[in-house]
Amino acid sequence: MSENINKHETFTQAEYMVMKDDLLRPIEKVGKAGKIWIAFLVAVLLAGVVAYIIQETKSKYVTTSLRDYTMWGIYISNFLFMVAIGLVGVLMSAILKLTNFEWYRPLSRIAEVIAIGAIMFGGISIVVAMGRPDRLLNLLLHGRIQSPIIWDVIGITTDLTACIILLFIPLIPSLVTCKNHLKNLPKWQLKMYNMLSFGWQGTPEQWQILKKTMKTLTALVIPLGVLICTITAWLFATTLRAEWDSTNFGAYFVSNAFLLSVAVMTFATFVFRKAYNLEKYLTEMHFDKLGQAMVLMALIHGYFNINEYLIPAYKMSGLHENTLLNLFVGKEAGFYWSVVIFGIIVPFLLPLFPKMRKPLPLFIISIVVLIAGWFRLYLIVIPGLLHPYLPIQDVPASWTHYFPSAVEMTVVAATFAGVLLVVTLFSRYFPIISVWEVAEGELEGKEEIFNYK
Amino acid sequence: MKKYNYFLTTCLSILFSIATAFAQDKVAKIALTFETVDSLHVCKAFVTSEGQPVVELPIKLSVKRLFTKLPIGDAVATDSTGVATFEFPNDIPSKDGKLTIFASIVEDENFMDTEVSGEVKWGQIVVSDNSNVDERSFSAGRDRAPIYFIAISLLIIGLIWGTLLYAVLQVFKIKRLGKLEEIKE
Repeated sequence: MSENINKHETFTQAEYMVMKDDLLRPIEKVGKAGKIWIAFLVAVLLAGVVAYIIQETKSKYVTTSLRDYTMWGIYISNFLFMVAIGLVGVLMSAILKLTNFEWYRPLSRIAEVIAIGAIMFGGISIVVAMGRPDRLLNLLLHGRIQSPIIWDVIGITTDLTACIILLFIPLIPSLVTCKNHLKNLPKWQLKMYNMLSFGWQGTPEQWQILKKTMKTLTALVIPLGVLICTITAWLFATTLRAEWDSTNFGAYFVSNAFLLSVAVMTFATFVFRKAYNLEKYLTEMHFDKLGQAMVLMALIHGYFNINEYLIPAYKMSGLHENTLLNLFVGKEAGFYWSVVIFGIIVPFLLPLFPKMRKPLPLFIISIVVLIAGWFRLYLIVIPGLLHPYLPIQDVPASWTHYFPSAVEMTVVAATFAGVLLVVTLFSRYFPIISVWEVAEGELEGKEEIFNYK
Repeated sequence: MKKYNYFLTTCLSILFSIATAFAQDKVAKIALTFETVDSLHVCKAFVTSEGQPVVELPIKLSVKRLFTKLPIGDAVATDSTGVATFEFPNDIPSKDGKLTIFASIVEDENFMDTEVSGEVKWGQIVVSDNSNVDERSFSAGRDRAPIYFIAISLLIIGLIWGTLLYAVLQVFKIKRLGKLEEIKE
């Protein structure tokens, strides 16, 4: 890493104003491209709503490819993906914050918004996958506390609430900044800033409360995020299928989630840097660090992947033989090895080279990792279901394989559009980089920010 | 000639179907008897048609279960006296020991489908040990979850939601402090 990347400067009030202008600019001006992008996301989201209405009003046997064996299809693998990238808030905001890695500062809010969008649409993916969504409330009213399903519901709602509060509290000083510095905005928007800033004056007492609460919540979201990832893995590990019969599943899911979190953070950082011209704040140093984190996470996930597949493959018991051979040399082999290469080996090897940790190469690697990560979860759900303990006999041919229907694909596309829409709209109305957190990190005289109104 | 092949085949098929249908018009009667010899359960199906025993006719035996009938072995053909003899297993579970046994003729070339049934006390009475139904365990229903598990769960949920509530209250504290500051100014 070059020296100028790491330097911490003391800057003047004028420089601080420049920083504010830079970071608040995306809220003032929504370009044509931005409007088209939002319209596109809304269109995809609405297409998903229409597809879901079709699914619920017509026979699911016709509108989806879900059958007796593949009762969980891409809705559930997509849910796993959303839960996995929902861990980005834990890794990129909470863990780095608590361990005093200063480079988290411009990334934390981006990570938290992605986490909220992902957890929200992960939850929606479960409801979409339900055969009888009208009985959703029964899960809470009549569910068994001993069941991982109940814990998943509790975990997701709790984590979502915690992430929203954790996003909101550090946003309060930023809202005052918006209120004071953005004048060419609609009245309702200024009123919203005023209302949500909760009388923030920037007094030392207020700062003290804000920081203490942030610290408490930051410590809370780490176990919560790990918890929902692990419980989601337990949903599988406690179900009788050979591929899921693993004590390693919780750790395997968490390591996968951390790798995908780094990838999604890299992706988002690159996009925001380009779209909002934030090169001064989302620097090459961030990509360098994210690249290093990607290598570490790929290594850890690779380790759990070996535990997950190599040890059962060494024993090759009758229980696992069917499903493992299908993955290694059978029908899904091409799929499986592509996922291993692009989802584990590529993110481990390529970012080892400093040139690959530059923004564009790392952005491309992150896209590859995200796609491979989505399919890795697909490979856990679908082949797992298609290899039950008892052989599949005397059933229609359509039950023995699975390919998602147009309705399912549209709904899944809509969940992605939904996450992107949450992140895009947030960045249109609120500063996507926390001005005060960035300034605090770089400024030596902190009092200057505290007293600034 | 080839172009008439299809027509001829169709005609022959129709004629065969008519002939078979007439042939199947014969009615057979089955009489079921049950006996136990040296703890071996034997079920005999005596088949007659127009007062004469029917020879070499396959008979299927089945036993009524909750939703469907469970076949007992393969079909057995009647002997020269018109009797099909079945050894009946003695380990078929039953609530009160009673079993409903069916003997049937299915899709025979000459005889119409027929079925008779008889009730016999050959079932193995299942004694369920329900003494642990009310015990609290992980596998029990929601009302029977282990107390320590409910307590730990509620404690964890309470602590987490308590912290979240505390965080929300801090926001209102910030607001109160802001108002005080305004008054001071």
